[in-house]
Amino acid sequence: MDNLIEELLPFYALGALTDDERGLVEAYFGEHPEIRAQVEEMEFAASALPYSATPVEPSDHLKKRLMERIANDRRARSSVSADVSRPRPIKSQNKFRVTPQFSISALSLIITAVAIAFVFVLNEHVTRLRGEVDALQSALLAQAGTVEQLNRALGEVNARLPQTAPPSTLTTFAINGTAVQSNAHGQLIADPNDHSAVLIVSGLAPLPSGKVYQIWLLKENTPESAGLLDVDALGQGVSILMPDAAIGSFDALGISIEPEESSLQPTGDIVMLGEFN
Amino acid sequence: MRIKSKRNFPHSGDGLVRDELSDEALVSWVARGDDAALEILYDRYAPTVLGISLRINADQGMAEDVLQETFWRVWRHAAVYRPEFGSFASWLFRITHNLVVDFHRRHNVRPQSLRYDDHDAPDIDQAPDPNADVAEQAQSFFKHRQIRSALATLPEEQRQVIEMAYFYGMTRQEIAEATGEALGTIHTRARLGLQKLRRELEKQDFEG
Repeated sequence: MDNLIEELLPFYALGALTDDERGLVEAYFGEHPEIRAQVEEMEFAASALPYSATPVEPSDHLKKRLMERIANDRRARSSVSADVSRPRPIKSQNKFRVTPQFSISALSLIITAVAIAFVFVLNEHVTRLRGEVDALQSALLAQAGTVEQLNRALGEVNARLPQTAPPSTLTTFAINGTAVQSNAHGQLIADPNDHSAVLIVSGLAPLPSGKVYQIWLLKENTPESAGLLDVDALGQGVSILMPDAAIGSFDALGISIEPEESSLQPTGDIVMLGEFN
Repeated sequence: MRIKSKRNFPHSGDGLVRDELSDEALVSWVARGDDAALEILYDRYAPTVLGISLRINADQGMAEDVLQETFWRVWRHAAVYRPEFGSFASWLFRITHNLVVDFHRRHNVRPQSLRYDDHDAPDIDQAPDPNADVAEQAQSFFKHRQIRSALATLPEEQRQVIEMAYFYGMTRQEIAEATGEALGTIHTRARLGLQKLRRELEKQDFEG
């Protein structure tokens, strides 16, 4: 084993390496998977260390504060989903005061007027929905045309490849929206043995200024940044990932919302997640 | 509508159910937005998390912030936890560890000398919470005794290196500088210390 790596292993297990040193060790794992068992033995000892601290019962107000924060967060998420999926309620204002003098004919007139208005509103709504469906169908047709063009181009490229070329091992992994953005979906296209991949997503919500989508590749629950994802007004985005390790060495891909300057670890909502198994 | 009622999540007040649900099952409920599942995990692990944080941070407020932030991150990132790569407890403590190490690196805090003999500190600093689950408390306490006993068997210099690295996130070079020892000596102490610690824990059938 490389001397430097051997020296770094205990500190890797103890979580006390710099980012560069950790990257060095993990790259070495990729080439020498047999070292993993040795590290796991050290990690077993390191994993016991948290229990060496004397347990201290936290005060009730800490738990209450946390659970209130979580309840607020859950309510905020629910209200966002509800706002998206539900038309805004119209506040009713009863400006008419019903008196015994109110004649039956006047009442009938009002009911008829309200019914006509209601039908008109419904018609408007249906017309708008039909327009949206037409627009979506046009967009779908345009996408289908693009896919067809790309397939043709791919076929031409494949035809030009030498016959001796190895068969393609390209794999497509589904990347789905989490509960935070359940409409989002996408695909990661990669050769698992390669160090690059193409990520295509759609259905992501626009972000407020100061926030960005950040891509993470996950290995054994440890996230590694794979860059930022630019999303257009339609919620679509494409990114080419070029991690240091082969795509197949990772377990999953996630996308989170982060501050504009990006983060070293995910700090915001995980909006999309896809496993490679 | 509360999600948990729709999905028939077991009532958290049911003692039997609390004992039966594994950490991994609970964290999968948390990933689906169930705060009752998070509350059970909090009850199980908050004392250990606060203990770790307090051991390193003399500042009570800072230690409590770490406790809050640790479980907040569990709430927000439960979806990325993968049980096949380690227990929930390992993942949770790694979150705590990262938060504390970040704190130390930002504030350049250095460790105090710590000993593990029985005269050093009481086993439980505060009275146990009467509402906490007795079996969970007993298990946590048992593990605490096991690791303290195992650490007490290490030579002082090996234990010191392990503590500086794990609890304070000090790099190899920083430990060498702080102790006045050669870098090679620090490497050897860390490796031998972890090996001996593992053997001692295995002797005691420690389950991580």
